[in-house]
Amino acid sequence: MDLESFRAALDTWLNDHEGSLAASYEGTGTLDEQIDHVCTVKRLTFDAGFMRFGWPEHVGGFGGSPLLRAYLGEALTARDLVEPGLYSMTEVLAPTMIDYAAPELAAAMVPALLRGDETWCQGFSEPGTGSNLASLSCRAVRTDHGWRVTGQKVWTSLAQYAQRCVLLTRTGTPESAHRGITALFADMESPGITVRPIRAMHGSDEFCEVFFDDVIVPFDRTLGKEGDGWAVAMDLLPYERSTSLWHRAAFLHRRLQELLSAAPPGALDPARLGEIIQLLYAFRSRSRRTVHRMASGGILGPETSIDKILLATSEQAIFDLVADVLTADVSCGDDPESQRWRSEYLYSRAASIYGGSAEIQRNIVARRLLDLGNGQ
Amino acid sequence: MDGEEYRQFERTLTNATAQHTGAALDMALDDLGWHDALAADPRTAISLLCELQGAANATSCALGYVFAHALGMATNRGNGIVLPPIGRWDPPGTVDGGDLAVQGIANASLAHEGSALIVTTTGARTVAVSVPTESLALQLVDGMDPDLMWYDARGTSVLADRNVETLAGDWASAVALGRLAVAHELVGTSRAMLELACAHARSRIQFGRTIGSFQAVRHRLAETLVGIEMADAMLEAAWLDRLPKTAAMAKSVAGRQARTTARHCQQVLAGIGFTTEHPLHRYIRRSFVLDALLGSTISLTRALGTEVIMTSELPALPLL
Repeated sequence: MDLESFRAALDTWLNDHEGSLAASYEGTGTLDEQIDHVCTVKRLTFDAGFMRFGWPEHVGGFGGSPLLRAYLGEALTARDLVEPGLYSMTEVLAPTMIDYAAPELAAAMVPALLRGDETWCQGFSEPGTGSNLASLSCRAVRTDHGWRVTGQKVWTSLAQYAQRCVLLTRTGTPESAHRGITALFADMESPGITVRPIRAMHGSDEFCEVFFDDVIVPFDRTLGKEGDGWAVAMDLLPYERSTSLWHRAAFLHRRLQELLSAAPPGALDPARLGEIIQLLYAFRSRSRRTVHRMASGGILGPETSIDKILLATSEQAIFDLVADVLTADVSCGDDPESQRWRSEYLYSRAASIYGGSAEIQRNIVARRLLDLGNGQ
Repeated sequence: MDGEEYRQFERTLTNATAQHTGAALDMALDDLGWHDALAADPRTAISLLCELQGAANATSCALGYVFAHALGMATNRGNGIVLPPIGRWDPPGTVDGGDLAVQGIANASLAHEGSALIVTTTGARTVAVSVPTESLALQLVDGMDPDLMWYDARGTSVLADRNVETLAGDWASAVALGRLAVAHELVGTSRAMLELACAHARSRIQFGRTIGSFQAVRHRLAETLVGIEMADAMLEAAWLDRLPKTAAMAKSVAGRQARTTARHCQQVLAGIGFTTEHPLHRYIRRSFVLDALLGSTISLTRALGTEVIMTSELPALPLL
């Protein structure tokens, strides 16, 4: 199916089913409610077929361009039917499985993720491993029964809901850096896994600590080969920086539109608003180009750091404006809408931290795009 | 234009803008078939020429040609077109009874043309009035960037039917296309400044290391590239939807990032970049004036914000 036909069919279907797709809670809802809702929306869109476009047949998809799933996420986000951060985790984790899992494992697992029957998480960061991912130390050693994993992960989004985890482990020597990393696909019900949610500043328990105490992961759950973990992590970036950012841009667009309606008369300064619109539109234009490059098989590399910088800059500019225009609501309002603005304002502070901090992105731009050396 | 044809055209234009400026560049454009390219593929012709012209710090009648094309005239008549005064975008001619008042800027080449084309609107019509060049007071502008060799053109002429020509294009579309041309030139100018600053950061040694190894310097230059790529992406969107509002956004983003580029690159180039012995100052001057041309960043941005507040509606954007 081409994008135009898909757009028309999806828009019609969404118009007809908006009632059953909309969240039943007001404002942000609890995280339990959010997860329940995003899974429901995924199931309904999967069963109607739309969720299956843009994914290969051998993992339960209908094939077609990734542009189709970029549009699906955009349309759901623009209509406030999904929270893009929760929804887009599929965009990051499913391609990793398709590219690196044994075909029969991908075929068995990916449909459950697409349909919202399962939630997955991504175990990358560790207490001692933030920006410097190659220094991770969560250890996996070979035993007769499979990999035995020992260590700790942190900032693992939705681990308390997840049935599976894409996990980076150290299988080489501690000095092996990016060469000695192996990616595993672990069942979260395995004995020895403990999850501790962390209450974040914006009021959600989205992030967790995950502890691994002699957890056995079968060898056939290795993603790629031993030592391929760095490649798995790097190949995931193009997805995190294309469709996912496109979905997030649709979210920012919707919230800025809603701010126009919510702003008291005279509260918006035309010059500041104009500049923020231009920033958001430039980010969307950039993201549009990146999504098209990805969909046409182009290789996405360090230039996507610019997309991430633009996301962080636009998101923070928009919510700084929210904070200045809806000051009373954001600071002291306790109704669901005010709570939502407040939570989103606070979450926007993280946009320059997660997924590679603003400083790391600028270092990448300097080294890889401007040829300024490695900074030593 | 397809692959090989495009690359050939780009090579030819690169040589032309590197070797020539002013009237010589106009002649070169004529010879290399740029006017035909403008008619057949305006996006390629405008984006390539204007970015290269910006990168080479060259000048030409390109903006006049772009206006002529958008207004439905033969593009080589662009030499004679009077453009709006700096900072403004209304037509340079205003009709008052039987008189035509002119205020605008013109390229140096106008001085050699027998007549000037003054665009004005009467009712729903956009017209070009041909007036003798000698009827205009032409004053060479020094200003921030004397290399532009612009003339301030003003005067009053008698309006007569025989010299009035109804145009196929409308003024707003011409301004929109002109803004895209200027925005591309700002991007080209900015890329040249960034390359000068990066070359300096890679070679200048202090405290025993290149200054480009210091994070403060690296982040300034990274920020500069982010701004340039923002303008580049916004321009692509404007070419896709061809809406005047998107063109105005592209021009604003290009103008703002050029000011940022100038600030960061001047800081990195430091002492040498403050002298006229280094080329940076020419690019800084050029970008400053180009930002003001056809509406400055701040005026276009405020106009956008005012309209959005009035309508409570965000502008349209190209679809995925």
